[in-house]
Amino acid sequence: MRDGSTLLEFKGVNTYYGDLHVLKNVDYTIGRGEIVCLLGGNASGKSTTMKTIMGVVQPQSGTVTYDGQVISDLSTSERVRRGIAPVLEARRLFPRMTVFENLEIGAYTRKKGPEFDEDLERVYQLFPRVKERRTQLAGTLSGGEQQMVAIGRALMSRPKLICMDEPSMGLSPLFVEQVFDIIQMINKQGVTMFMVEQNAAMALSIAHRAYVLQTGVVVLSGTAAEMQQNEMIKQAYLGEMQVEGAA
Amino acid sequence: MTFYDLLLQQVINGLSLGAMYALLALGFTLVYGILELINFSHFNVFMVGSFVGLFLLEAMGVSGQLTIMTGLPLVGVLAVAFAGSMLFCGGLGAVIERFLLRPLRQVRGPAPMITTIGISYILFNIVILTQGADSKNFPNPLPPIVWHIGGAELRLREVLIWAVALLLMGGLTYFAGYTKMGKAMRATAQDPEAARMMGVDVDRVISVAFFLGGAMAGAGGLIFGLYYNFTSFIIGFKTGLFAFTAAVLGGIGNVPGAMIGGILIGLIEAMSGAYIASAWSDVIVFSILVLVLVFMPSGLLGRVAPNKS
Amino acid sequence: MITAAKTALMRPFENMEPQKRRLLGLNALVVLLILFPFLHDNDANIDAMANAGTLVALALGLNIVVGFAGLLDLGYAAFYALGAYYYGIFTAFQIMPPWGEFWVPFEFVGLVQKVNRGGPDLVHFTLSFWLALPTAAIITAVFGVLFGAPTLRLRGDYLAIVTLGFGEIVPIVARNLDGFTGGAAGLNGVQAPKLFGWSFGVQAWPYYYVVLALVALLIFISLRLRDSRTGRAWRAIREDETAASAMGVNLVNYKLLAFATGAAFGGMTGVVFIAKLQTATPDMFNFNVSAMLLVMVVLGGMGSVWGVVLGAFLLQIMQSWFLPEVSGVLRMIGEALEWGWLARIELVEGIQLIFGVILVFMMLYRRDGLIPAVKRQGALHITQQAAQVQRGGFVGLDRIGKWSPGTGNALEIKGVTVRFGGLVALNSVDLVVPAGGVVAVIGPNGSGKSTLFNVITGLVEADGGSIKFEGVELLGLRPDQVLEHGVARTFQNIRLFPNLTVLENVLIGEHARLTTGPVGAVAGTSKSRAEEEGALKWATDILALFGNRLTPRAGQIVSGLSYANRRRVEIARALASRPRILLLDEPTAGMNPAETLELAEQIKSLHELGLTILLIEHKLDVVTRLAQNVVVLDHGEKIAEGPADEVRRNEEVLRAYLGRAATAAAAKEKSNA
Repeated sequence: MRDGSTLLEFKGVNTYYGDLHVLKNVDYTIGRGEIVCLLGGNASGKSTTMKTIMGVVQPQSGTVTYDGQVISDLSTSERVRRGIAPVLEARRLFPRMTVFENLEIGAYTRKKGPEFDEDLERVYQLFPRVKERRTQLAGTLSGGEQQMVAIGRALMSRPKLICMDEPSMGLSPLFVEQVFDIIQMINKQGVTMFMVEQNAAMALSIAHRAYVLQTGVVVLSGTAAEMQQNEMIKQAYLGEMQVEGAA
Repeated sequence: MTFYDLLLQQVINGLSLGAMYALLALGFTLVYGILELINFSHFNVFMVGSFVGLFLLEAMGVSGQLTIMTGLPLVGVLAVAFAGSMLFCGGLGAVIERFLLRPLRQVRGPAPMITTIGISYILFNIVILTQGADSKNFPNPLPPIVWHIGGAELRLREVLIWAVALLLMGGLTYFAGYTKMGKAMRATAQDPEAARMMGVDVDRVISVAFFLGGAMAGAGGLIFGLYYNFTSFIIGFKTGLFAFTAAVLGGIGNVPGAMIGGILIGLIEAMSGAYIASAWSDVIVFSILVLVLVFMPSGLLGRVAPNKS
Repeated sequence: MITAAKTALMRPFENMEPQKRRLLGLNALVVLLILFPFLHDNDANIDAMANAGTLVALALGLNIVVGFAGLLDLGYAAFYALGAYYYGIFTAFQIMPPWGEFWVPFEFVGLVQKVNRGGPDLVHFTLSFWLALPTAAIITAVFGVLFGAPTLRLRGDYLAIVTLGFGEIVPIVARNLDGFTGGAAGLNGVQAPKLFGWSFGVQAWPYYYVVLALVALLIFISLRLRDSRTGRAWRAIREDETAASAMGVNLVNYKLLAFATGAAFGGMTGVVFIAKLQTATPDMFNFNVSAMLLVMVVLGGMGSVWGVVLGAFLLQIMQSWFLPEVSGVLRMIGEALEWGWLARIELVEGIQLIFGVILVFMMLYRRDGLIPAVKRQGALHITQQAAQVQRGGFVGLDRIGKWSPGTGNALEIKGVTVRFGGLVALNSVDLVVPAGGVVAVIGPNGSGKSTLFNVITGLVEADGGSIKFEGVELLGLRPDQVLEHGVARTFQNIRLFPNLTVLENVLIGEHARLTTGPVGAVAGTSKSRAEEEGALKWATDILALFGNRLTPRAGQIVSGLSYANRRRVEIARALASRPRILLLDEPTAGMNPAETLELAEQIKSLHELGLTILLIEHKLDVVTRLAQNVVVLDHGEKIAEGPADEVRRNEEVLRAYLGRAATAAAAKEKSNA
């Protein structure tokens, strides 16, 4: 639960793709038990943030600290082992593997045993639909079902921190709301959530805090409530009608 | 020989050739499935495999077609030869990947493929320089047992080839479907980045894929020697192209597809040799390659390659 | 000491312009090569030089296919074989049909002779070497097209394997058709060329000059093609086929042209080679030849004409001179030391091993080769970067497109449906862009916006509906045809040609509006030169639209540019095609507010010049600023349409696009009102 301690921290992180400077001296602090959302347009560096947390992209300078330890040099699998799990943009399930196999891969860094069965049960309880579909190929599921499997897959590694890349993308409005309810529910069970989202209004409605990223620079940060009132956010991400709505 | 005898004989021959192509095709398919790379070095890893088999057999005292063994000694000699050849070629494949291809993993364009051509050429020429350009008599300790089915002949060596191929293909199927590493390999083939994010050590998966591919090629090389009674530096080229055709025909990246494609290509080669002219069988198989690539690029069972954006 | 001597030697040249210095060097080299047989009386060495020239010529041909167009051809020796057998068969005593009246006219022009070897009169083909050269070029070019055609739709790596197959089939056919080719034993008695009745015979020097002339011709053609519209189209294909097609390059034609040109080079060289050798066997054209040529191209630098010349020459020199010399020295040492293996060493036997090592080494450590094709211009100096940003603008420039404002609808989309497997990406979407108008498409990620652009520009096939631009149906057209009709686009994830310069990228945008073909480019007609000058002027003008953002970077490779600048280059490239409608897919993504504002103003001025614009954009302030009409997509369906203000109040839009908080806020606003 939220105890004020820090779970993940970026300090002065700079990343490059070749000559291209993507993240520019970025700082984030994500407290234990929080839901933190990262807002920004396409190509603002959101996905690079995600990849940097997972260790797929290495920062050129700066440090990434997780659970009190610098993890900049750790491999992705070691990070997963230590409790960071991703829910990738557009789900990215393994389409020609069954739902169960997808969940198994989620628990790849752990040994099979009673804990695995416990987690599987937990996922099945959370998503009865996933249990029904466990022998189907993941590629044959609907978008909403795939998102459930993707979240379930992340839970299978028994994470402390789940990083979600655009959980609302491509989902119907009704299902978007369900996904956000699920995110809140998982968070209440003690998992810290860091999510990248374009649907700013939706994300801010459940987040505790938020950062705004623009061309690789954090231009704004604060509590979700502050953000919802911020004029700049309203204009850029919530749409100007919010200004009128509040007025 | 009657029409049916000839046909049956060609089916027997075709299945043996096909078993060899299938083993070799598996190596192409495993690597292509993950890296979308045509691994030309595979051609000559196979060729090296047949030479390793040759040395092992000779080292165990089997020389030419004269040393005939039976019973346990035969099984032991063959097991050592297969295991040695597979280990050596598997290791060779993994070393090639680790030191020559991994540095190019992120490089776009034809560079990795050109590198595999270079490696293939190096292996080819090392064998020419050290073993000479002559064909080598390949030792074969199998007793000359022949069963007659009508007018067709089924030799013990064919039964052995089928048994080994079935065993290896069964093992690989089990590995891909039911082991943790196998599942990780399939996941990596379908979406390497997602697999990596799930904690799969993609580098290790790729090493294992090259090892397994190399090992299959090693077994294939030994089978070549046992089937044709000779080996030579040149055998990798044609056999490799045929096996690649088999992989494409079955649907590249697709493990069962590679097996089916291999068998089909073996049968086609045997039939065209018998019914058309063996001088033209190469042209026929290459034509199939071109036709399949152009008109059915996903092959018989569907192409399975990574989702690259 | 050496440096001192060097500076002393170089002193007279120091003040020359680099271009003139290069020309002087080239001239000196040519004079040296022409004088070589006089200066050097060793027939074997002249012969070795002629062989080296043959390989240079072949490598130049392979470079057209592999280096220029990026089509990895592993069976290039097939064309060399075709040229060789063509000349060989028609000069040797190989096929000799019975003599008849039919042959008389051919005898008259000197193509055949009547011979009698006891028995009936027979025909002996006597194809002139000088006639064989151009006809071989044509014939092998046709074969290039035939071999290339089935491979066009293949991915690059499959192409490699298919060409490898073709390369293997040709020698097999040569071996099997022994009636024509002499089979495995080979073709003997190929005639030496004659010039005014004088036969070249077996001396090396006449062949040397023929090869020298051929190489000079092929270098000339290569350079002219490289710097032309054709060469740019090839480079575009090499860098990104989809983008090349979207910028108006007909992929089929240009790939076949590359195959044909490369094949013609190989065919001509084959004629020269076999005329010199006077025999041909299938083994002379096997994979080893194709592989060796690939090594030469890779060593020199793929796409680099002078690099390939150097690479081929170096390898041939190594093979025919350096390695034998070194082996000789080693053998002497071996004898002195009484080491048997060293005394018998022959390094040339290991030449192919060295080739393999070169391939691997170059790929790992120097992929651009000895002389890289692309000269990289460094990043701007810090003061240049910090210089005051000029806004640029479009005032004063001629109309971008040819369109004249005020006539009905430019683009009419009706009921367009696109399915990917089971997924409906677009469901019966209608959309109209009035001539001279700006329409924006908005919607959440994954709602089908980019698919809409792809279906308009022919990158994706529709499952139904119609898309008319100025009354012309676009559905069913290829991307390059769509561009020719005046529809240009940018891509959401930026698809520039990454290893080309800013200027080259923009010049490729002009492709559809230029007409110079390969022949015009090689001939260097005044028309083609004028057109090229005009193209350069237009590209420069387009770059200037973005103030000093792009102009000072014109020579830079685009992959090193910032995100914002790459977006600008992509827009410039689209504008270079003189479009009448511009499709912009998230043009401001990755830009900060100041850059966004700057670009929005520039887009606005484009609109004021009369350009019709269809825009995908996430930033609502940009949309409001630019668009008269907004279309909202969600899950592939159009859920709303209207002026920006209206759309932003639409409840369904709020839900789909902005989420429940916004909906709640709007509802609250409604109840308050």
